Amino acid sequence: MTSGRAQELASWQQDLARAGYIAEPGLVATLMLMQDLERPLLLEGDAGVGKTEVAKVLATLRHTRLIRLQCYEGLDAHAAMYEWNYQRQLLAIKLLEHDERGIAQKEQDIFSDRYLLKRPLLEAITCEQPPVLLIDEVDRADEAFEAYLLELLSDFQLSIPELGTVRATSRPLVVITSNGTRELSDALRRRCLYQYIDYPDYDKELAIVRAKAPAVPAVLAQQIVAFVQSVRRMELQKKPGIAETLDWAAALLRLDISVIDKDGAERIMQTLAALIKTRDDRVAFTREVVARLAAAC
Amino acid sequence: MLSTDAPALQKLASTRLAGFPGFLRANGFAVGGGDAVEVLRTAERVGVLDPHILRWSLQALLCGRAEEWRRFDQLFDAWFLPANKWQRPERRDADKGFLSGHQPQGPASDRAPTMDSEDIRPRQAASRQEILSSADFRELTEREHALDIEALMRQFARQLKHIRLRREARARHGRRLDLPATIRRSVASGGTPFHLEWKDRKRVRPRLVLLIDVSRSMLLYSFFYLRLARALSAELSDVFSFIFHTRVTGVSQALRDPDPWRAQERLHLMAQGWAGGTRIGESLAQFNREHAARIVNSRTAVIILSDGYDTGEPAALSGALSQLRRRARRVVWLNPLSNQPGYAPISQGMQAALPHLDLLAAGGDLESIKAVLPKLIEALG
Repeated sequence: MTSGRAQELASWQQDLARAGYIAEPGLVATLMLMQDLERPLLLEGDAGVGKTEVAKVLATLRHTRLIRLQCYEGLDAHAAMYEWNYQRQLLAIKLLEHDERGIAQKEQDIFSDRYLLKRPLLEAITCEQPPVLLIDEVDRADEAFEAYLLELLSDFQLSIPELGTVRATSRPLVVITSNGTRELSDALRRRCLYQYIDYPDYDKELAIVRAKAPAVPAVLAQQIVAFVQSVRRMELQKKPGIAETLDWAAALLRLDISVIDKDGAERIMQTLAALIKTRDDRVAFTREVVARLAAAC
Repeated sequence: MLSTDAPALQKLASTRLAGFPGFLRANGFAVGGGDAVEVLRTAERVGVLDPHILRWSLQALLCGRAEEWRRFDQLFDAWFLPANKWQRPERRDADKGFLSGHQPQGPASDRAPTMDSEDIRPRQAASRQEILSSADFRELTEREHALDIEALMRQFARQLKHIRLRREARARHGRRLDLPATIRRSVASGGTPFHLEWKDRKRVRPRLVLLIDVSRSMLLYSFFYLRLARALSAELSDVFSFIFHTRVTGVSQALRDPDPWRAQERLHLMAQGWAGGTRIGESLAQFNREHAARIVNSRTAVIILSDGYDTGEPAALSGALSQLRRRARRVVWLNPLSNQPGYAPISQGMQAALPHLDLLAAGGDLESIKAVLPKLIEALG
């Protein structure tokens, strides 16, 4: 059984790689467990380490829909769960004015499924096939919303005052990401499986570059990754994530730069906009610094 | 069924597994009593013979935050590897010796698997000697003034809630019409909007970041400020506290620790360099680099608690503060010295800081904080 589990893990890992996601075995084990225990997964880590990607690739692997709820400051339960289509309701009221039916019946008609706008959370639990529900950057929303979310995640049902309780027809696979801008409640943390995703190490990032940007020659790919890895070790305001690495690789290709060395520092400087995203960091990248980094690749 | 054949071995394995959450809890993890069941369920699923898969799975199951995630491997080894490979646990209970290795039951066994109420954590576990050697931290939980401080911070937290930011919510009287809500109400009157619904700016309390100077010159005040921070953290969920002297260290987690003894210990560990020199500028720059991007946003108020005696370059302080000012909603500086007669902010540090501050006020003791509170609320609004 155990060796079976290990085999299963290896095949998951291969499937993920085929779908374009390079994952450590630890993450794969967590994803398997998440499916076994039907628990949500909370992903934390710096911006740009591939948290959102996890949900996308899960959806691809399971051939199911990805429903995404992007959290933001001021997100309230209505925007996340459901809203009534007021305009249509108003129209319907006018149309029903000369209807013979009683008030109660009219009201029932107006507050029926037809006038309900499903927002991501309601949509996720009423799908026929269980979707992957991605709740992105949950730390941006406030605590009140977190409490709503907890209720949903424990019972998988929503109550709509006018309609009654909506039970989940399918249990979505829930992936929650957080950038840690706010301390999440212990209750939410305890309900979820947890995975901390760090910046990829050299080998993993090289594998990612190979998978995502096959046009980049092998030698250049190694140099790119070595360069980015040493950039991350510098003290920067915003460290480049994986997306930045890939952008930068594309930029280098575009400028026909086929090798990173210190003589080419001038041209590399032209592409740094893809890698370095704040003014203060940009100032730190003088020609000498770039030449030194390039020479070390 | 666990995936081992010998029943004895299996029993041993499951008691060891069941004890693991308790061990983590003793080491400061937010793990509840019910987790033992989850651990066994997980082990059943993944099997116990492949140590890696078991490790990864339990890590995902039992960790809740990055700090726990990083410490997990070590604790996993300590609990599951043979005794001679065990590493010293972070805390011990000398009397019960529950980490001696001869009691596979583990620390959780003597507790009923109740829900995770905080008060069942082993309090006596903190070693006495360490407390004595860091005696000053006892002030953190000293009874004297504790109630006053808590009351004041409660008042502060309540007043903060009245600060309005630019965000709208439904209100009885307001500035703008809330159309969807109006239509929703009009249904009762056949579609004629008799009652209007309004939107008004919603009250959203600003997030607070406290930067507490703990250098030597602040020795008299820093514990008082830490107690304020602890009381405030108990009231509001998004208060972030940092201490700094020559570098900056986050203490929010430690201050929030419901176990006062453990809070002391954690602070003690963090306080290397406590009461040493001050480099405010460099500390703030480090804060900008490492924490500001995550924590400070346009509804964050940064409160710096320092006397402004800086041994670093004034230019560094000025630069770091202006950077912080751009990110934050407000930057306020409370200086414990400034209610002393004849005080003027003429130290180089204060001179460099002054142009970037929304408010510079006194605040050396409870009375002066109380006095400054209205101004502070006004400045934060």
